[in-house]
Amino acid sequence: MTTMKRKITVAMAAALLSATAVAAQAEDYTITVWSGGTGDTSHYRVDAIEMAADLLEREAAVRGEELNITVEKQVWSGWDDFKQAVTLAAESGTAPNIIVTGHEDIGPWAQAGILRPVEDYVDFDVWPLNQLYDNLVEVSSYDGQIWGIPQDAESRPFFMSRAHLAEIGYSEDEIDALPSQIEAGEYTLYDMLEDAEAMQDAGVVEAGMAFAPRVSNGPDYWQFYQSFGGEMVDPESGQLIFDRQALTDMYQFFVDAAEMGVVPATYLGGDWDEWHRNVAAGSYGMWHGGTWHKSQWENQFELTDFFDKIAFSLIPAGNENGRANTITHPLVYLISATGTDDEAAIAAELITIASEPRINSLHAVESGHLAIGEAQASVPLYANDRWSTEATEALLPHANAIPNNADFGAYWDAMYQGLEAAWTGTSSVEDAVNMAQAQVEADLGDGIIIR
Amino acid sequence: MTDTASSSGGIRPDALVRPADPASDLEKAALKGRPKVSLLGLGMLSPAAVLLLVFFFAPVVLTTIFSFTNMTSATGISGGAYVLSPNLLRELERSGVDSDTLAALGTESVVVDQESIAAARAAGVEEDFLEEIEDDLLGVDFDSKQDFERALKDLPSHLRRTRDLKLAADHFLVSALNTRFATRAEASDAISALAPDIAPGTRDRILDASYTGWVWTTENFRRLATQPETLRLVLNTFFYVAVTLAFNVLVGLFLAITVFYLPKGTGMVFSVLWLLPRITPVVLYAIMWKWFTWDGGFVASFADLVGLPSFNYMKGSVPTAWTIVILVNGCIGASFGMILFSGALRSIPMQQLWASEVDGASRWQQVRYIILPQMRWPILFVTCYQSMSLLSSYEQIWLTTNGGPGNTTMVWALESFRTALSNYTGNLQYGQGAAMALVLVIVGLVLSIIFLRMFRFGELVEKPKIEF
Repeated sequence: MTTMKRKITVAMAAALLSATAVAAQAEDYTITVWSGGTGDTSHYRVDAIEMAADLLEREAAVRGEELNITVEKQVWSGWDDFKQAVTLAAESGTAPNIIVTGHEDIGPWAQAGILRPVEDYVDFDVWPLNQLYDNLVEVSSYDGQIWGIPQDAESRPFFMSRAHLAEIGYSEDEIDALPSQIEAGEYTLYDMLEDAEAMQDAGVVEAGMAFAPRVSNGPDYWQFYQSFGGEMVDPESGQLIFDRQALTDMYQFFVDAAEMGVVPATYLGGDWDEWHRNVAAGSYGMWHGGTWHKSQWENQFELTDFFDKIAFSLIPAGNENGRANTITHPLVYLISATGTDDEAAIAAELITIASEPRINSLHAVESGHLAIGEAQASVPLYANDRWSTEATEALLPHANAIPNNADFGAYWDAMYQGLEAAWTGTSSVEDAVNMAQAQVEADLGDGIIIR
Repeated sequence: MTDTASSSGGIRPDALVRPADPASDLEKAALKGRPKVSLLGLGMLSPAAVLLLVFFFAPVVLTTIFSFTNMTSATGISGGAYVLSPNLLRELERSGVDSDTLAALGTESVVVDQESIAAARAAGVEEDFLEEIEDDLLGVDFDSKQDFERALKDLPSHLRRTRDLKLAADHFLVSALNTRFATRAEASDAISALAPDIAPGTRDRILDASYTGWVWTTENFRRLATQPETLRLVLNTFFYVAVTLAFNVLVGLFLAITVFYLPKGTGMVFSVLWLLPRITPVVLYAIMWKWFTWDGGFVASFADLVGLPSFNYMKGSVPTAWTIVILVNGCIGASFGMILFSGALRSIPMQQLWASEVDGASRWQQVRYIILPQMRWPILFVTCYQSMSLLSSYEQIWLTTNGGPGNTTMVWALESFRTALSNYTGNLQYGQGAAMALVLVIVGLVLSIIFLRMFRFGELVEKPKIEF
C-alpha cells in the first residue's frame, strides 16, 4: 500500500468513525400523549407537550447534543372510551408514554402497575415544579408517592341568571350579595328551589327549565353530597365514607326538585349541546357547571356579556349539616410504565416543561381553567383575564378534590346509580340509598365506613 | 306423479308442518349405515371450525375464566405484584396485625456506608460523585429520601440528570415501601429482612394482602344473585326482548304479506325502503333517530304543531324512551323478518291462492287459512333467531338512550358492557362484567336448545321430503 493510499484510508476511516460518533450522540425518541375529555378549547393539553419537546431539543442543542423528539398526540372528547383505551392499551403493552387524565385514575392505575411514580423522574424542588400549588401536588399523590404533575385546575360553580332573578324581584345589589350569602350558608339549595319555582310561576322560564344540573355523571354530584354534610373520605384513616344521612338528603333534594317541576324526573342522560345552547340562550334560571364551560359558551354557543348576564357562586349548602362548597377536579400528566426508562425520563422532562407558567396559562385562559401554580398570577395573559382571576379568588380557596383511592370508582358508580334510581322515581329515596349501600358493601367490604 | 304433487309443484304441502312420515326403506338403509368420513369434507369444514374456535369457543372460555375472578382496572388482567404501601400497612393495623411488625415494614432510612457506596459503584455510578459522597456524607443521618437527594445535589460532581441522580440515591435507600416485588418469594425475603422475627402466619397474611393482582372468586355470581339491581335488569331485558320481538315478527310479517300482494314494482320499492334500517351503518342510523326524536327534531316539532307535548322523545320520558328503543331495534328486525317471510311466501304454490280465489276467498281468508299455516316455521325461525339476537344486542340502545333516562332502559347486555369495558369513572370490572356476560351465554345456550327442540332441528337435517 502506498503512503498516499494509506493516508486516504486513514482519513476515510477517521471520517467514518467521526460520523458514527455523531450518529451515536443523536438521540431519537417518539413520545405518545393521550388525553381524555379534550375539546376544541383544551388542545393545549397535548400541544403543550409539543412545545415542551421543541424547548427540550433546543436545550440539548445548546449543550451540544442532538435530541430529536417526535410527539404523537391523540385526544378523546369524552372519558368512557378514553379510559377503556388506556387500560386496554396498558394491558397489551402499547399505552402512551404520557397520559392526561383525571387524578382519580391514579389510585387504580398505580395499583395495576400501569404508571411510574413521577417523583422518581422529576425534581419538585426546582423550577417550574417548585411553584405548583401544594394542594394540587397532593391531589396528584397516592399512597405515599407523587404520581403525576397537575395539568390544570378548575372548580365547579353554581350559576344564576341575573335577568331571571331580577324578574322575580331581586335587586342588582341583592343579586350581587347572593354569592356571599351562599358562602355563609344563608341561602341554601332549598332557597334556590323556591326561587326556581318562582321563576316558573312568573313565566320567565319554561316548565322544567328553572334548575338545570349537570346532564350526566360527573364529580359535580359529589358537591351536593357535601352540601348535605357528606364526607367522601376519612382524613385520619384514608378510608372512604358512606354517609347515609347525607346521601338520603342529597337524593331527596333532587326528588323534591323534580316534584316541584323545576327539573324533569327524566333529566339525567340529556344532551350536552342542548344544555349549552339553553345556557347561552338564557333559558335556564339556575344551573351548575365548570369554570371551563364559560369559554365553551362564549366560543361555541355565542354567549356574550357573561358577567352582565350570569352570577356565580359556590354550590349552596343543603341544610345545617352541610356547607357551601365546590369540587376541583384537576387533570394530571401521568407517565406510563410502557416503554423504556429513558423514554419515561424524556416524557417526564416534557411534562415538567409543559408546566411552565407561560405554557400552562395558554391552556388555562383559553379553556377557562385555573392556574396550577403561584407564578401564573404574574403571567400577564392569566393575570389580565377577569374570569380566571375572579374564579380563582372566589372559588378555589373553598375547593376540595375527590379522593385518590383505588376503590372510589366503585363507590362513585353506586352513588350515581342510586341518584338515577331516586331521581327518576324508579326507587324510593330510602331504597336507592339501601341499594347504593348494599353495592358498596359488596364491592368494598371493610374498605368503606358506613355511617 | 301423484295428485298432491300435481297441485303443489312437487312439494308435499304437509312436509313443512308435519312430523316426518316413516321413511322409505331406502332412507332407513341410508340412516343405518355409518356416515363416510371424507377428507375433502373435513378440509372444507376446517376454516369454519377454526373460526368457531377463535371467535366463539375462545371468547366463551375466556369469559368463563374472567367471571371467576375479581379482575378490575385496578388489579389489571395480566397479573399483579406484591407491594407494601403505607395504605396497606394502615389497613393491616386496623385488621389487628402487630404494630411493631408494621412499623418495621414501614421503615424508610438512608444508609451511607461502605457497603452502599460499593453497591452504587458496582451499578456504574460515576466515581467522582461517589468519592464526594464518601468524603462528605458517609455516616450522616437523613430524615427522608428527599433530604438525602437535596444533599446529593449540593455535591459539586452531582449527576445533572434528575433521573440519574434518583437512581443513584436509590442505592442508599433501605426500604421495602412501594417497591413492586414481582414474586411472592422476593416480597417474603424483603419482609423477613425488615422484620426477622415475624411469625410465618402473619407474614403470609401480609403477603396475601399486598398482592395487587386478581384472585379467583365466586363473589361475582353471589353479587348478581343478591343485588336488587339484577331483578330490574332482568325485567327490563325481558320487556325489551318480548316487545321488540313481537314488533319484529308482526311488522315483518305484515310487510312481507303487503309487499306480496302489491304489484311487483311497487312491492320492490317498499322492500328496498324497509331495508334501509338494516343496511344503514348503525352509528348513522342511531344519529338519524336522535335528530328525529330530539328536542326541536321532527317528532317534537310535529307534536308542537298538533298541540301535543313537545319534548325530547328519546330521553324525555320513560314510556317514550322505551318506544324509541323498541322502534329503533324493531325496524332493523322487521326488515330482517320481511326478507325471510318474503322468501317463504314465494315458495307457497300460487295454485293454492288461485284456487282459493275461485272459491271466493277474501284476502284475509287467504292470509288466515293458506299463508299463515305455511309460514309457521319461518315465523318460528325468526322468533328464535331474533330473540337470541335481541338478548345480546346493546349497541343501538347504547347509541340512543344509553340506558336512560336514569337507567330505565338499561338491559342486561348493555350493563354487562358498561360494567366490564366502558363507564365514566373508568372503574372497569372485568370479572363482574364477564360474569354477567356468562349468564347471557348460558341463557342463550339454554334458549338455543329449547328452540332447536321446538324447531325440530333433526327434521331439518333429514333427507329432503321432495318427491321427484
